[in-house]
Amino acid sequence: MDFFLSYLALAAIYVTLSLSTNLLVGIVGIFSVSQAAIFGVGAYITGYCLVNEVMGFLPATLLAAFVCLLVNILITLPSLRVSGDYFVVTSFGIQLLATAAFTNWNAATGGASGMPGVPPASVFGIELVEVWQNLSLCLALMLVCCLGFYLAMHSPWGRLLRAIREDELAVAASGKSVLRAKIGVAALAGVFGGVGGSLYAVFLSFIDPSSFDLNASVFLLTMVVVGGARTLAGSVVGPFVLLALPQILTMIEIPTTVAAAARQGIYGALLIAFMIFRPQGLAGEKL
Amino acid sequence: MLFLQLLVNGIVTGCALGVVSFSFSLVYSTTKVFHVVHAGIYTLAGYLALTLAETGLPDGVALVAVPIVCAGAGALVQILLYAPLDRRRATHLAVLIASLGLLAIVQNAIAAVYSPNILQFPSAWRGQTLRFAGLTLTLVQVTTVLLSLLLYAATSLITSRTTLGKRIRAVASNPSLAEITRLEPARTYVAVMALASANVAIPGILVGLDLGLQPYTGTTVLLTGTVAVIAGGVGSLAGAFLLSIVITVMQNLSLLIMPGQWSVGITFLIFVLFMLWRPRGLFVAA
Repeated sequence: MDFFLSYLALAAIYVTLSLSTNLLVGIVGIFSVSQAAIFGVGAYITGYCLVNEVMGFLPATLLAAFVCLLVNILITLPSLRVSGDYFVVTSFGIQLLATAAFTNWNAATGGASGMPGVPPASVFGIELVEVWQNLSLCLALMLVCCLGFYLAMHSPWGRLLRAIREDELAVAASGKSVLRAKIGVAALAGVFGGVGGSLYAVFLSFIDPSSFDLNASVFLLTMVVVGGARTLAGSVVGPFVLLALPQILTMIEIPTTVAAAARQGIYGALLIAFMIFRPQGLAGEKL
Repeated sequence: MLFLQLLVNGIVTGCALGVVSFSFSLVYSTTKVFHVVHAGIYTLAGYLALTLAETGLPDGVALVAVPIVCAGAGALVQILLYAPLDRRRATHLAVLIASLGLLAIVQNAIAAVYSPNILQFPSAWRGQTLRFAGLTLTLVQVTTVLLSLLLYAATSLITSRTTLGKRIRAVASNPSLAEITRLEPARTYVAVMALASANVAIPGILVGLDLGLQPYTGTTVLLTGTVAVIAGGVGSLAGAFLLSIVITVMQNLSLLIMPGQWSVGITFLIFVLFMLWRPRGLFVAA
């Protein structure tokens, strides 16, 4: 039972990250393979604050969300100046830079061996030790993020963002500020990423650079592609489907070293299959 | 002396990277696909050569046979993946995502079949070194420099002097006009992918011989290569090759002032700043 509950909690965490990726890749069409970097920044900030008893879970999450907001604006800024494939390389570069920082900045992150023993979150004086308590926290924050996404997308601002993806020039010509809209969307995506990272750190109580590397970014992209770009339903469906996959793989008896590679390989095959046969994903719009 | 040795090492690595970047540039400027599977073919070449070497064949055989196999693999990627996506009018983003997917498949298939750990070639000549003027170079490094320059010269000649090269340039500059004048862009794309994949196989083998093979290192190599392509100006083979050498020399010399694990990160940091300052590269092709 705990097994199933922790699957749900993890999926809820990934929904916030998937929303973050969807905002950039799906809604405004800024290709990003560096969302795992934001995820990592959020996780490490909360981890560091809780391990060193700097502050409690809620203030740490707020801090993580705020820092991720700033960092995400900073790393999305090049997309205003350079377009298309040039930004792809920049985005890959940012991800590699982040991985280098997580792995080598031993004082803050614990380096390659990771940061063990992140204490459980305590909210309003209640220490969340049981799995169902963690699940409630993850689901609650996931719902807040989903609500934020829904409200943003159904506002005039959401329509502006969609218009930017269709035709940036037309938006600029009709007197709207593309710059301000893109900064806004990067900020919102950063907050979602930071919250997701924060939940991840307290839920797993152990974080290491391999959870936030290029593969993790591609995994987030896979969630958006499989679930479906641009819709709230897509971002919710994607993580629940994709995180069920490793559980199914554990039922087939293969050596663990092969299993990790097989899982990543299957994610890759899903990316291709969806792009060729169903570019709109399970519950989204055509990418 | 250390300075000189690092400089020479940088040039050697840069020549190998140069082949990766100018072949990527060839594909990118012609098909407009951001072909990340190039990294997969680079890695695949090394492992195929390892398999041949383990059967006891001399490495010279691998240096001829593997590029041919890789050319076929590259052509297949174009025929079975990029062409169908193009027919379905997939967006640029969709093609890139599919390409990332195939790269994941290739790298993980290699990790599952061989091993995710570092593997070394059994070949004896790997260890042989040459010394002159206080510098030490392995025979593999010398071969890398010579073959890379040879490939660069050959590819430059092909693109500037032959009929195929003229067709490639025509298709690159205006695909729809090329279609009307029956230059057959679809077939040209296949030829370009085959040519580029054969090229990238050589550094894939030689760097593997020099430093050993790992399934996931190709991504960083390709990305450093794309940095060189963009900084050198897309479409310019010379720019890509030269900038590759500049980048790796800088990475090697940076070892004098800071630990090596930061050099990749710093490279991309410089690149991001460079993109903000000069988004169209140093030498923009006409």
